[in-house]
Amino acid sequence: MRASYKWLAEYLDLADLSPAELADRLTSAGLAVDAVEPLNRGVERVVIGKILEVRPHPQADRLKICQVDVGRGEKLEIVCGAPNAAAGLVVPVALPGARLPGGVEIRIAEFRGVSSHGMLCSADELGIETRYLPKRDVEGLLILPEDLPLGEDVVPHLHLDDVVFDLDLTPNRSDCLSIRGLVHELSAILRRPHRFPASVPGPGASGECPIEVRLETPRCPRYEAQVLEGIAVRETPLWMKMRLLAMGVRSIDLVVDVTNYVMLEWGQPLHAFDADAIAHGTIVVRQAREGERLVTLDGQERALTPDMIVIADPEKAIGLAGVMGGENSEITPSTRRIALESARFDGASIRRTGQALSLRSEAQQRFEKGVDPAAVSNALHRATELLVQLAGSHPVGAPRRVPAEADAPKPTVISFSPRACARFLGVDVPEDEMYACFESLGFGVARGEDEWRVEVPARRSDVQLPADLYEEVARLYGYHHIPATSMRLPVEAPESSDDLKLVRKVRRALVDWGLCEVRTYALTSPEAEAPVAPSGVAVPLLRPMSDDRRTLRRHLLPSLAEVARYNLAHQVSGGAIFEVGKVFLAASWPQDALPEERAVLGMLWFGEREGHPFERPRPYDFYDAKGVCDALLARLGIQVAYRVSHHAYLHPGRQASIEVGGVMVGTVGELHPDVGDRYEVGRAVYAEFDLGRLFPLASSEVRVHSIPRHPASRRDLAVVVPLGVESQALVDEARRTLSERGVLRMVRVFDVYTGVGVPEGHKSLAIALWFQRDERTLTDAEIDDAVKAVLRAWETAFGAKLRS
Amino acid sequence: MSDTWRHELEAIRGEALASLALASDSKALNEWRVEVLGKKSALGQMSRQMGGLSPDDRRVLGEALNRVRQELEQAWRARQAEIEAKEKALRLERERIDVTLPGRDVPLGAVHPISRVIEDIEDIFTSLGFSVVEGPEVETDHYNFELLNIPKDHPARDMQDTFYLTDEWLLRTHTSPMQVRTMERMRGRTPIRVIVPGRVYRRDEDDATHSHQFTQIEGLVVDEGIRMSDLKGTLEAFAKALFGPSQRVRLRPSYFPFTEPSCEVDLVCVSCGGAGCRMCKGTGWIEILGAGMVHPRVLDMSGYDSSRYTGFAFGLGAERIAMLRYGISDIRMLYQNDLRFLRQFRHA
Ligand SMILES: [Zn+2]
Repeated sequence: MRASYKWLAEYLDLADLSPAELADRLTSAGLAVDAVEPLNRGVERVVIGKILEVRPHPQADRLKICQVDVGRGEKLEIVCGAPNAAAGLVVPVALPGARLPGGVEIRIAEFRGVSSHGMLCSADELGIETRYLPKRDVEGLLILPEDLPLGEDVVPHLHLDDVVFDLDLTPNRSDCLSIRGLVHELSAILRRPHRFPASVPGPGASGECPIEVRLETPRCPRYEAQVLEGIAVRETPLWMKMRLLAMGVRSIDLVVDVTNYVMLEWGQPLHAFDADAIAHGTIVVRQAREGERLVTLDGQERALTPDMIVIADPEKAIGLAGVMGGENSEITPSTRRIALESARFDGASIRRTGQALSLRSEAQQRFEKGVDPAAVSNALHRATELLVQLAGSHPVGAPRRVPAEADAPKPTVISFSPRACARFLGVDVPEDEMYACFESLGFGVARGEDEWRVEVPARRSDVQLPADLYEEVARLYGYHHIPATSMRLPVEAPESSDDLKLVRKVRRALVDWGLCEVRTYALTSPEAEAPVAPSGVAVPLLRPMSDDRRTLRRHLLPSLAEVARYNLAHQVSGGAIFEVGKVFLAASWPQDALPEERAVLGMLWFGEREGHPFERPRPYDFYDAKGVCDALLARLGIQVAYRVSHHAYLHPGRQASIEVGGVMVGTVGELHPDVGDRYEVGRAVYAEFDLGRLFPLASSEVRVHSIPRHPASRRDLAVVVPLGVESQALVDEARRTLSERGVLRMVRVFDVYTGVGVPEGHKSLAIALWFQRDERTLTDAEIDDAVKAVLRAWETAFGAKLRS
Repeated sequence: MSDTWRHELEAIRGEALASLALASDSKALNEWRVEVLGKKSALGQMSRQMGGLSPDDRRVLGEALNRVRQELEQAWRARQAEIEAKEKALRLERERIDVTLPGRDVPLGAVHPISRVIEDIEDIFTSLGFSVVEGPEVETDHYNFELLNIPKDHPARDMQDTFYLTDEWLLRTHTSPMQVRTMERMRGRTPIRVIVPGRVYRRDEDDATHSHQFTQIEGLVVDEGIRMSDLKGTLEAFAKALFGPSQRVRLRPSYFPFTEPSCEVDLVCVSCGGAGCRMCKGTGWIEILGAGMVHPRVLDMSGYDSSRYTGFAFGLGAERIAMLRYGISDIRMLYQNDLRFLRQFRHA
């Protein structure tokens, strides 16, 4: 909402306050002023002049030499290129020494041998926002009213000596979407009386209104119409044009401008129809019909739905209520009779209509947020008054009002306790101060002992509860008076979730091991996920902003791969990254249940691992990833098993599922080369954990057991097995074989070899076994016997042969 | 006779000491030892020849021989120590390395700045007695809006353009639905003191200051007798903990449908300390969060009688705090995950 300082000042004494001070006061009372902009953007020494004579420039076709009277007896000779320069016009004249917006300084200058003693100005050259002016005021010189005093400074006569506040109003303060509303507010903030009439008398015309009105929808509780005849003047006076301009509303023609002017003044949107376009002289307010269409004022044909309210005659729709008029009833230069509409419409319905048609007019915004019921009649009277004054129109009959007896808008009565208010705010606002707040707001107050009755006028529909009154007191008294206090609450250990602690533990560990945490977007596309081919369906947004971000992600790999791709393309040779984020899973869509949100830890190793500067970087491999997984699981106190897995997006021979008691908690594997290529990350290794399954298994409890006193004996065995045998199988078999003897402390594979000395299709595994008992030292014979048993078991199970 | 012996012994001693002084390394020293003290040495020969002497001469000479031998052994040991020390010094000198070369790499990752900020804020509020809870990112219209006093077709819905999944389900536009969920879970028990960090989503074009996904931290306190001044006190304690003890907060009236009264909360500008600079547009204050007293309707809808209980709520953006704290000018940096950017947070 923009607001003209001068317009406000018409109704309130602001002489002692600069616009900047006023802006501060408004902001600290909750009406944030984003900007304070002078309308005059740097016009100096530009005066009103009259072109007396125009003759062509002898040397240049497009230039004219004008004799200009600037009211000092002498005539100035000024060269001008504007096509509309003509004798008799009153125009702005920049005298030598004048300044124009943008730092332009005017000097006596020579144009092809003729010296020019100044410059005749267009609106644009004076820094006026031309988009708010009608076309004829924008082309060429700005033509001023003939009766302006020659030689006087143009600034006050053009009403440029004004300042505009750009207010960022919160949606609850629709009452301030008008000059009168703002004056009410300022009157409360500044504690000084306003001086405008509480109501505007009707035009006094009597007799029957020539228009009938029928309300056929409950979404229009009130409709008033006034018919006027004859439009003698169609040009909007300069002051009104400039006022509309200051408020950011485009001037169209006098009738439309009057409706807009009154809307800005009263906050009540109005509409003007060509009364002769209304068939059978009857206005019907109803819901639109299925399939009904209407060409609106902007020339667009709109498909209407039964949710929309239309203004119609018995034959056809002539306007979209509260949103935009119809072209078929537009005011045109041939219009003879005007029907002015002032009505109330259901805000929610207006809002839906605007959204459905992507329209957002000033009128619509006011209806959405609510207009003052008391303004309906007043605004209609005021517009009628202005059209009589400015256009020379005559009212025809009295206004038509439906329903005939208007319910007087009922004030809201709130019971208010000053003590509760002070307690709530935590500051002892004096009772008289509270009273003064309400009074200056125009609220009625019946003071009681501890219980006041506060009557809130209908224009402040946002104030309904005691808390709303507390806010009025707080903001007018000043938030800065509220002290900073400590709560008197019991000391309690916060209940903290284990999962959050575990996420922190995981984050710390991974960072300490060299991984960088990333945070990526949860919105993605099925195309981006296609290489991973996650199960289920991607949950789509109803109205995505782009194709790239139109579904909820089902997998973390695409997000992490995008980070890797970006980095590889930006001179980062490689890295290890992780994210703790959610994936969203649905078996089908739409479905009856919300998508499942699953917290996942995803990790990706891509590009080259940089070690010591003297060592050669090498690509990350499976075992880098598995090492981190192992360490992480050790940190969480979780024992897992790795099993060969078969995800299509991973390398068929380099992937494993990570399982606890047969339940999969994670996956680790090198990307399938095709997937690496599709994500443009080359060779990379991915690992993920389902945190919902992993974290319940985590344990940070420690029960120490004694360190064995008897020495352990180590035996190293090299066995040859077929390539397909996994080392873990030999480890498991050794444990199983010796489980009853209780002698095997630890088994570890420490080398894998293929090549000379090992038959084709086989590999040699070097495995160390540690033998130990807690209560005594083992004999060599016992150990030898155990080793033999293991070798026998390996041979039986895997055909393992001791390597000679 | 014994004089001859004595002279010879003296000569051996003198020669040996002279040659010992010339021995300059362990090898020469060992050779000297063999030559001077070994079986085939002159001293050795002398002691073998003593057999033919009278017992008296033998005793006298024996003693003299022993003395010389002991003296030479001692001299050898001293010389050996000297040489060893010199050799060790030489070896150590040879072992000198370039200590300015880099050390063996210990890879260092980094916590994402948003996580860093969330953790710090969680720590501050848990130290003030708040619990940390999390909530779903896919919400219902009911929780995201209606129970927060934002009915359908309410103009306040324009404040938050929403990603809908269906007519009723959406990506939460704020963490505020957790106010209601927390009160429902607490079933009328008090006091409630929680903060809720989490990802939220809005239909905003991504630019330097907007992101369609960002991170909010919601706070909620409900009990009997909670005052608006407590809101200010709590946020001021928070601001001091996060940005330093000279911080202060300023409340400005504002509007949120689920709080009444509502306020925007400003901090003393972290860039200029309040003097006024470009960052704070000369005001000395920077807006940091939105807050207010929990709206009576929200309390009532969540099972807390608004005539008995009051409370306050606040919501702040982790990205905004991260940007202020680390001097990040474009919010997109936080989601681009350029490792050259992220690695700058190794020590954060
Ligand atoms: Zn500053």
